[in-house]
Amino acid sequence: MIMKTIYRLLIVAALMLAACEPEFKNPVDPNNVEVSSGSADFSVYVAVGNSLTAGYMNGTLYKSGQAYSFPKLLADRMKEAGGGEFTQPFMDDDTKDIGGMMMGNIQILEPKLVVDAGDKAVERINDQPTMTLTPHPGPYNNMGVPAAKIFHYVYNGYGNIANMASGTANPYFVRMASSPNASVFEDVLAQHPTFFTLWLGNNDVLWYATSGGAGTDQTGNTDPSTYGPNDLTDPGVFAYIYNQMLQALTAGGAKGVVATIPDVASIPYMTTVPYNPVPLDQATADALNQAYAQYNGAIQQALAGGLISQDEATRRTIHFQAGNNAVVLVDEDLTDLTALNIPSLRQATADDLLPLTAASVIGKPDPNNPQLIMGVTSPLGDEYVLTADETAKVRTVTAQYNATIQALAQQYDLAVADMAAALDELAAGLRLDDNSIYTANYFSGAETLPNLFFSLDGVHPNRKGYVILANRFIDAINAKYGATLRKYDPGYFDTNISILPQN
Amino acid sequence: MKKLIMLLTLSVLLPVSAFAGGYRVALQGARMLGMAHAGVAVFGGAETVFFNPAGIGFTGSDNSFAIGVSPVISKVKYQNVQHLWTAQTHNPVVTPLYAYYSHKISDLFYLGLALYTPYGSTVKWDRDWAGSHLVNEISLRAFFFQPSFVIKPSDYFSVAVSFIVASGSIHYNKNVNRFLTDGNGNRTDITLDAEDASGAGFGISVAIRPSDKVSLGFNYRSTVWLRSRYGVATINNNPGFLPAHDHFSAALPMPAETSFGLTYRPVDKLMFTAELDETFWSVYKSLDIDFGKLPDTRMAKNWDDSFTYRLGAQYSVSTHLDVRAGYYFDQSPIPATYFAPETPSMDSHNWTLGFTYKMGKLSVDAALLYKTEKERNDSYDYYIEGMSAPRFSGSYVANAIIPSFGIQYQF
Repeated sequence: MIMKTIYRLLIVAALMLAACEPEFKNPVDPNNVEVSSGSADFSVYVAVGNSLTAGYMNGTLYKSGQAYSFPKLLADRMKEAGGGEFTQPFMDDDTKDIGGMMMGNIQILEPKLVVDAGDKAVERINDQPTMTLTPHPGPYNNMGVPAAKIFHYVYNGYGNIANMASGTANPYFVRMASSPNASVFEDVLAQHPTFFTLWLGNNDVLWYATSGGAGTDQTGNTDPSTYGPNDLTDPGVFAYIYNQMLQALTAGGAKGVVATIPDVASIPYMTTVPYNPVPLDQATADALNQAYAQYNGAIQQALAGGLISQDEATRRTIHFQAGNNAVVLVDEDLTDLTALNIPSLRQATADDLLPLTAASVIGKPDPNNPQLIMGVTSPLGDEYVLTADETAKVRTVTAQYNATIQALAQQYDLAVADMAAALDELAAGLRLDDNSIYTANYFSGAETLPNLFFSLDGVHPNRKGYVILANRFIDAINAKYGATLRKYDPGYFDTNISILPQN
Repeated sequence: MKKLIMLLTLSVLLPVSAFAGGYRVALQGARMLGMAHAGVAVFGGAETVFFNPAGIGFTGSDNSFAIGVSPVISKVKYQNVQHLWTAQTHNPVVTPLYAYYSHKISDLFYLGLALYTPYGSTVKWDRDWAGSHLVNEISLRAFFFQPSFVIKPSDYFSVAVSFIVASGSIHYNKNVNRFLTDGNGNRTDITLDAEDASGAGFGISVAIRPSDKVSLGFNYRSTVWLRSRYGVATINNNPGFLPAHDHFSAALPMPAETSFGLTYRPVDKLMFTAELDETFWSVYKSLDIDFGKLPDTRMAKNWDDSFTYRLGAQYSVSTHLDVRAGYYFDQSPIPATYFAPETPSMDSHNWTLGFTYKMGKLSVDAALLYKTEKERNDSYDYYIEGMSAPRFSGSYVANAIIPSFGIQYQF
């Protein structure tokens, strides 16, 4: 009897204790978070920018890239602090999630880059885009237009399909413009933003760099209609338009963040291919030196004739040895001796930057003469090398843009997201609070994915990278406006880089 | 009784659960559990075969047999204030068990046989939770078979040596890293199954009873390394570039333990016992898994030796009934920055109650343990992802309720 009573007591005690769960002293409730907007008003947020604002990655704009654009990530956090709806340009017709674009039967924009694990190569996906030029008129909160330079942004007709043939329209803006002749910036203002991010100017320096300095430095030329696609935009033009934009954006009291322009010479597109990627044995090196003996002799004669300096003669002398060798290239900045039948050749140095496109050319047969090898017996053209002089030009112009951005931010009392500083940190290895590290390296195998910031195009971030960018904007907003927007943990986001067994 | 036997039969099929410091499961007897699982200086009943084999000579019965089971109901909660992450375990009710037999050969020699589950762990978190790169679920079970040989050269003193043969299995599922998915966005995970783990060890114990009022005990069990050579790894939700299957080898230590105890009986009906246990967790330096094709993984552990302090009391209400109560404090062996969710073990307070009801040669034991693990805010800083070691931090809190049932037969 006693035993039964005790037994029952034990059972009752067990049931009572089992019902009491372990509890934290201060339990977290994810459904009831208090986030402040500080002195900012996030009710109508509009993102002003280019491909980096659009969510472009892996060489195109595609659905699952856009879905994690930094403005979208930002808007999701703003929603916890009074933010409104955030629309992005229509992309439901990207049914395969590969981006690119068709004009009729012609592919005018290529689909996304993928890794072919079989060939161990980065390639365009072997599939046809489904997106077309059919307009889906905006305006949208995300006004990021891939490829837009600052002067494009205020150009009426940039979204007019009739201008496609002349190359003055942008296929992305054709799709999203509210009307054919509205400028991008007019579509921004029409939404009466209460808050904005402004990140423009990247393309004004980028293409000069990625084209190996094939364009012209237009500093001093204030007429953008005379510019070629690979030219450096005049810093005066940049400052003028930037000021006009901020004046218009802040006229109604809107607050915002402006972002600086990273050094385009530090992105993996420019830093991945080494200047000396040509491995040779002694026999091959000897044979090549034999082949260049005549050229080297001519250089010595030019030196003796006083046509070039000793320094230039040394730079122009071609020499191969066993081991890794620098590529041979055409440098238009060398003294022109073509009248003497001496080409403007030299070997690359550590100061030369070879764009990613050079990787698929170096060591391959010259298409014009299959007997010759590109970068060795056939020199690389100007488009495959950003020389030290050209790099300096890009950096000078970028620094002028950034000085303008910082000065105008102060004038209009805006937050600054210092993306130039962010890329510098990344190049040195960016260490986050949780001790994770991100680098500015290019993809080199699945094991590199966790630390990768950039996507396969070597210019745009991957998804993790965009999350890191969004956090930078959040830091800037919180610091300037006293908001408490929550940051993301990039470690938990996929890179959105496809590694296919076979492409 | 029928129900109890059914429960015991069922429980043989189930793995044991996470308990006590680290993955030690201190549930080796319903009788001793009632008084804080302090049994090294309590010589009585077949459970002595586990707690202190040398004490068999003092139990006073020629043959003694015990079996029992302790269903564990446990829960761990996790939260991270910065990221607003919350998660909790959904651990199945698991049932460590024991079976003991002691035999008197002569006044000088005695024999003990023990089969028990001293180590184990079953932790099942919400799938794909924030710490899923460390563990989704893990279940470890280790069965120890330990024969002991006792010599009792005097009425006051006896010693024993034991041999331990252990076999075990481990089932471990985690996500491959913090972000990898297949083409449809399902997180990629890896399951590790090792059914072949085995190991061996030994034990030494001493029992001293200088008077009827006082007894002293010492027990040592060596480290047993459970080694698996033929583990099977399976990748699920494969993104396409990982091998679907692999094999691996690994070893996990079941660390050595020493216990000292003192028992005092002021009057015949009343007994107090105190015990100090030290578990030598410092042997657990790293969990290394060597794969065939996949890259090998090293997870740094560097645990510390830990102590458990036990106090128990027993009162004989009548010739049929003994009642017991106890308290013990169990120290976490896990140093700061090594706190990982596959073995979330915090400092804990433990309260116990129990009784024995005797019906001639047969007696029934029951006990109840209530455990509260103190809230701990810590991190695991040694998870490797590519070229960095991202920290996984947060707070943990846990409790458990464990009834224990056993029967003993003496003849």
